[in-house]
Amino acid sequence: MSNQSQRLIGRRAYRPHWPVNSSRVFKRRRWPGTKRSILKLSGRYNPKTLRREMVLTDKKPLFWFVGLLALLLLPIGVSTDRIYTMFGIICIYAAINVMWTLIIGTAGLQSFATLATVGVGAYGAGYLSVTYGLPWPAMLIAGAILGGVMGWLISLPARRLDGLYYALLTLGLSEFMRNFVTQSDALGGKFNGALFGVARIVPSDLLTSSTGQALLYGTAFIALLIALGVFRWVNGGRTGILLRTAATSKEDEAFASALGIDFNKERTRVFIIASAMLGFLGAFYATYIGGTSLQIFSLELLLLLLAMIVIGGLGRPEGAVVGTVVVVGITQWFTDWGPWRIMLVGALALASVLFTRNGLFGLKDQIREIRERRKALHRAAITGRYAEYLPQQAPEIGDKSEIVGRVFERTLRARLRSWINPDLIAEHQAKPMGQHSDHLERMLNYFRKAPIPDKYAVYCEVPFESYRVVALSGLPGVPPRIVDDKIYPTLDEAYHAVFLRRVNDLRAS
Amino acid sequence: MIDVLISAAVLASMYGLIAIGISFTWASIGMLNLAQGFIFTAGGYTAWLFAQYAETLGMEGPALSVGVLVFGMGGSALAGLLVGAVAFLPLQDRANFRTRSLIATLAISLMGTQLWLVLFGSQNKPLPPIFGEGRFEIANAGISSQQLGTIIVASFMLAAVIMWMRSSRHGLQMRAMMMNPLGAAVVGVSVRTTGMRVLAISGALTGLSSVLLAQVFFVSPTSGTQPLVIGLIISLAGGLGSIPGTVAAAGLIGLAEAMTARYLQQSLVPFVLFGIVVLILIFRPRGLGGLLEDVRE
Repeated sequence: MSNQSQRLIGRRAYRPHWPVNSSRVFKRRRWPGTKRSILKLSGRYNPKTLRREMVLTDKKPLFWFVGLLALLLLPIGVSTDRIYTMFGIICIYAAINVMWTLIIGTAGLQSFATLATVGVGAYGAGYLSVTYGLPWPAMLIAGAILGGVMGWLISLPARRLDGLYYALLTLGLSEFMRNFVTQSDALGGKFNGALFGVARIVPSDLLTSSTGQALLYGTAFIALLIALGVFRWVNGGRTGILLRTAATSKEDEAFASALGIDFNKERTRVFIIASAMLGFLGAFYATYIGGTSLQIFSLELLLLLLAMIVIGGLGRPEGAVVGTVVVVGITQWFTDWGPWRIMLVGALALASVLFTRNGLFGLKDQIREIRERRKALHRAAITGRYAEYLPQQAPEIGDKSEIVGRVFERTLRARLRSWINPDLIAEHQAKPMGQHSDHLERMLNYFRKAPIPDKYAVYCEVPFESYRVVALSGLPGVPPRIVDDKIYPTLDEAYHAVFLRRVNDLRAS
Repeated sequence: MIDVLISAAVLASMYGLIAIGISFTWASIGMLNLAQGFIFTAGGYTAWLFAQYAETLGMEGPALSVGVLVFGMGGSALAGLLVGAVAFLPLQDRANFRTRSLIATLAISLMGTQLWLVLFGSQNKPLPPIFGEGRFEIANAGISSQQLGTIIVASFMLAAVIMWMRSSRHGLQMRAMMMNPLGAAVVGVSVRTTGMRVLAISGALTGLSSVLLAQVFFVSPTSGTQPLVIGLIISLAGGLGSIPGTVAAAGLIGLAEAMTARYLQQSLVPFVLFGIVVLILIFRPRGLGGLLEDVRE
């Protein structure tokens, strides 16, 4: 969020920039077939060198590129069975989580039907493959269709139910699916729900070699890429923009429908797309491991997936991916810890709910906010001088020396006010002009440098007979206004009257 | 026909206890307690531990039965308090309380299953039969003493809790919180104390159903999932927060399950239940007795 817009105050976020040849016309690169630019670039003049340069406004694509490259190359570099298994699971679960994020974040539907849909894709496509010998590309398509149909079915109640009701309804879906599979003979009820012999993408004879492993891992990685692509396509597209209007609350929904946005329709569309993708991933999972098991419908796996999303940060694709890496890393790497590793994951999820605002990726903003607050408190504590003009409080004052000037003025007035007493006034009354005591002299100096508008002055009606107090207008051609109807016979009395008025104003300020 | 009704009543009374616990918690403190499965198994294991201990003492008969019931309820009530201490008290006054407490309770149930796995292993633990082994004949149909006992104990406990809610001072506080949490807080009902009390009571009800259900099934680390799911959809269909609605929904679901299992197939039970709940929710999105949501919003 904060790297999109430059902050006004404090340290600015670093943005990569490089000089450009300004004589050449810049051509923006876009994703093929769309109007979306690949990198958000903008041109500017470097404030120091005044050379023309290009600035990368959004650094996220860079992080994504580096992160995904690492995810692709690390297992291939290490190339052991264990690493391949672990990262394959990471990719598939991350893809599922990204789609779940699409449902929770973009569509705003609190659905727990994710794994049920994945399972429908896996079992449906697996069953078709085992029984009718479907090849893997047809399986993937069948999975997507099944997932889409399933998504359409379970999106029906979503039109009438809101929020948590829907969450409750869908939480049970996996459990129901599991029961169904256990008790149906056709779906491998004989092997305790497991399905074997599903067609595989990478031929089985290749699987023992490291090339085959790398290929298999590559397919999982591609599945993740497809999921991320679908996320970006839906979330960054028109549907995503429309849904962001109705994102958070009931009021937002009312607002969105007032704008003419049929958010229910859009939500259903997103839900069906995501479900089709989940079914696709289910079918892919079946071809990936060559079968399915009931574990896919277990509540524990659903909770683990939820923990991944929560640890990473709800509603963000990067949170879904990083959370998956963390959780699958723990569960697959520390296998000898037994149940304790799941406890650790649960504890992490609990901690991120209790202590963070939105998981790992909300942490940055949260820490920054805490730090800013501490800084402000600290600054206010060490000196009361600038307290009311702290940069946070007076962001509209561009010139910082103005703040210093105002603070000086304020402290000066306070000191002068403390000197006002009857003796001082009597001293001025006795002798308005000439040498004075130090305090009176300083006060008069302050009065003299007051700005001209509304400054008091003495107006001579008849020399040596009648004087009046006036206030200057400060504008050329506009005469001073007469302040009151008192007439002073001598100049000294008039001077003193002006002094008294100014003292009064100083007191009031 | 009668035996279908009997098994429907047994199912309804066991599910109803859990559903009412969930419903209470939601209505009074606005927290969806999805750690109910953990609380369920906690009660089962406490009762099992007590039964093991009682065996070494040579305890038998009614004393053992009452002990098992009491310890099951006590263990679950303690687990309910634990859930409250972790998921309710720290989050209660924070932004986004509902979603965060939901996730927190889910995390607890994730950890809970593993905790039981570490402590007790994955084997099933049987509880001693607390209602004896007898059978009675009612109108040409047999009813086992276990079924009869389940119905009687569950309805007695339910009636007791409802009476207590209606006539006691604490019940008044809870009902005040159900109607208007802010208003209740303004007139001096402590949200935290009452919330913990609610969690303990709904825990105890869950514990009771755990002990009753363990007469048929066993106690195992994951045995809480199925009751949790059924309890959830019953409380959903009954309208979260409405006791008559929840009782009606429990009866309906129990009947549907018994009839499907009898006249159709056991494997269709999940779909029939799910279909019924979806139908109810399509025609009454707040459930059978649900009025509460308007107040909460």
